[in-house]
Amino acid sequence: MTVPGEEFPYISRTPPSGAAGLSPSLPIDLILGRNSVSDFGLLDSGAAVNVLPYDVGLRLGAVWEEQTIPVQLTGNLAASEARVLMVSAAVGKFPPVRLAFAWTQSNSVPVILGQVNLFLEFDVCFFRSRSLFEVKPRSTGSV
Amino acid sequence: MSLSELFPQIHVLPRSEKWRLVQLMLADLAREENALTIEADESYPVWSPYEAFDAADTMLRVLKEESGK
Repeated sequence: MTVPGEEFPYISRTPPSGAAGLSPSLPIDLILGRNSVSDFGLLDSGAAVNVLPYDVGLRLGAVWEEQTIPVQLTGNLAASEARVLMVSAAVGKFPPVRLAFAWTQSNSVPVILGQVNLFLEFDVCFFRSRSLFEVKPRSTGSV
Repeated sequence: MSLSELFPQIHVLPRSEKWRLVQLMLADLAREENALTIEADESYPVWSPYEAFDAADTMLRVLKEESGK
């Protein structure tokens, strides 16, 4: 059975800067235990991994010292320590999925949704000329 | 608030304040234009973790371990 996709608009990030400032930011509910955080995740197909800023992890109730698997990020994030944090995530009307995040000690980034593993869980089509993108769960297979 | 709602209030401002408003708007527009310009000899941060393949391998391993439990 083919699950129909859901369309989302490109939105303007702060500070607003017109059409050039639009980005594919996906509304996402992150869930860890009894805590949940509603945020926008930047769909970054060039990012190897998902990234969670430090304050969002804290709002989810995560404890830095309890995360034991370090990961090394790149770019400007290379200067900040990061550890793996597993959370559940709900997108649109689709069932929640498990996402692995590199939880960084930096707060300079938005929630970044990258190849591992947002793009392994969802098929995403970008229609930049129409300022929208479509998301739907992957059809088959598993990680 | 729309421009059509603002205009009657702007219209009755003293001349000096109208000029001040023009200056503020020009500065605001210039700031937005500069925000869209990439200058030579300037460095810009790249926050995207591209080519973080070791991290990606680690996170895939954690995902597999969790799904195997």
